[in-house]
Amino acid sequence: MTVWTPSDDGHADLTSHDTFLNGPPHNTFARLRRDDPVHWTDYSAGQGFWSVTRHADILELNGKPDLLSSARGIRMEDQTYEEYLARRTFQETDAPDHMMTRVKVAKAFSKPVIAQFEKVIRDLCGPILDDAFAKGRFDATKEIARQLPMRMLGRIVGLPDEDLAWLVEKGDALIANTDPDFTQHVLDKMTTDEFRMMPFNSPAGAELFVYAKEMMEKKAASGDTSGILHLLLQPGPDGSVMPEHEFRNFFCLLVAAGNDTTRYSIAAGIQALCHQPELLGQIQRGEVNETMADEIIRWASPTTYFRRTATRDFDYHGKQVRAGDKVLYWFASGNRDDSAFLEPFKVDLTRNPNRHISFGQGGPHVCLGMWLARLEVRVLFEELAKRLRSIEPAGEQKFLRSNFIGGVKELPVRVTLQ
Amino acid sequence: MKATWILPDGHEISAEVPEGLNMMQAAVANNIPNVVGECGGNLSCATCHVYVDEAWAAKTGDVGDFEDPMLDVAEAERRPTSRLSCQIKMSPALDGLVLIVPQP
Repeated sequence: MTVWTPSDDGHADLTSHDTFLNGPPHNTFARLRRDDPVHWTDYSAGQGFWSVTRHADILELNGKPDLLSSARGIRMEDQTYEEYLARRTFQETDAPDHMMTRVKVAKAFSKPVIAQFEKVIRDLCGPILDDAFAKGRFDATKEIARQLPMRMLGRIVGLPDEDLAWLVEKGDALIANTDPDFTQHVLDKMTTDEFRMMPFNSPAGAELFVYAKEMMEKKAASGDTSGILHLLLQPGPDGSVMPEHEFRNFFCLLVAAGNDTTRYSIAAGIQALCHQPELLGQIQRGEVNETMADEIIRWASPTTYFRRTATRDFDYHGKQVRAGDKVLYWFASGNRDDSAFLEPFKVDLTRNPNRHISFGQGGPHVCLGMWLARLEVRVLFEELAKRLRSIEPAGEQKFLRSNFIGGVKELPVRVTLQ
Repeated sequence: MKATWILPDGHEISAEVPEGLNMMQAAVANNIPNVVGECGGNLSCATCHVYVDEAWAAKTGDVGDFEDPMLDVAEAERRPTSRLSCQIKMSPALDGLVLIVPQP
């Protein structure tokens, strides 16, 4: 089995989810970074969009939320204003609304508070890894990468263990709403608009809505304030209270986004260990540094892009962007930009500083859960390295069918233990 | 205009900072350790937390409405002189500013 290399012809259709079945179209991104860094794409399912693919440009534009708004949607697909209002979370808002929500939960996700979970994470990792490794040959995404974020989500949000598998299944149906392995309602093949007011345009959103409501009622009745949800119900600095539908949207966001991005980061890290055998020894000998998790998360780039919308006309790299135009920041491309990273297609666990943009760095919407993600990834790979003598591919890896979330959804591996 | 960062080990780094640049950007440009600025100066991350030297504290102005809760999010302990350095813009009045980088 050789190392995965991009197979697109340099002119891949970025609007097609099928394009990403073979992994991110990095030959196309490389061409765009070189020749056409602000690239227009016509879009059969709606208004076209601009793609920004260079690391430096993404950082620069992401730092201009007044010019490039989040409050018109953050995915390629168009939304009506009505759909936007019904489905938005704080991800789809600008200042000051965004901060009004963010400050309620920022402390709960802060580095020092999250650091207190290190032992919890380590204790969760042990049995997950031991169970998987006992099989000898297994799907590392399913048996390892999917397990840890799901269980941590339960701890952070304050949910019972017995609900977690169901929740993650629904979260997958939401965020992987373009992959038939995860949902019967594949977004770009749907013939109904029945769910258009639901999170991610998905019937799973409706089920999670009901769950969130019932769970909060249960928690309120028993005075249970574990987890972060009750923080959202507190008034913001201006006294405003989050409307009920927005609370439920936020819950769906936690279940979906809090899960899959860390999952696919872990999966990408395991994939890297398979293809660069020297990495395992480096972790075991402590020849890595504090940016190890960041390098794995750079390599993964699980959120392929976020979209913004221009609030006024501006020129950029010779292109005329008009007010109302959609502009996509392709983080997956920026993280492979050789003007920002030496040998970007190689995993280097000593890369420091590591100015990757997987968390949407440089802008107000930088990932709320980034400290949790980093901690989960670091601890999992430390625990994994303690146990393993070798790990190698044991079959074909399969990628998620999505241009929005990039990930190895099936990763067959074979291991030997120490 | 000049600014100086005092690092946790007592080492000092001074640099020219153009007017209008915020002190997070200035720190990143000068590779000041532990001043990161992951949100690009948008009050979302608290990774540019510094203590303002007592002599300069009054001149750097008041803590902003959203800056205040975000200072509780920073890794190092909050002190009366705590600020998010992205919220301090270099100006002639701040020429010579001294910032203390917290121990992480």
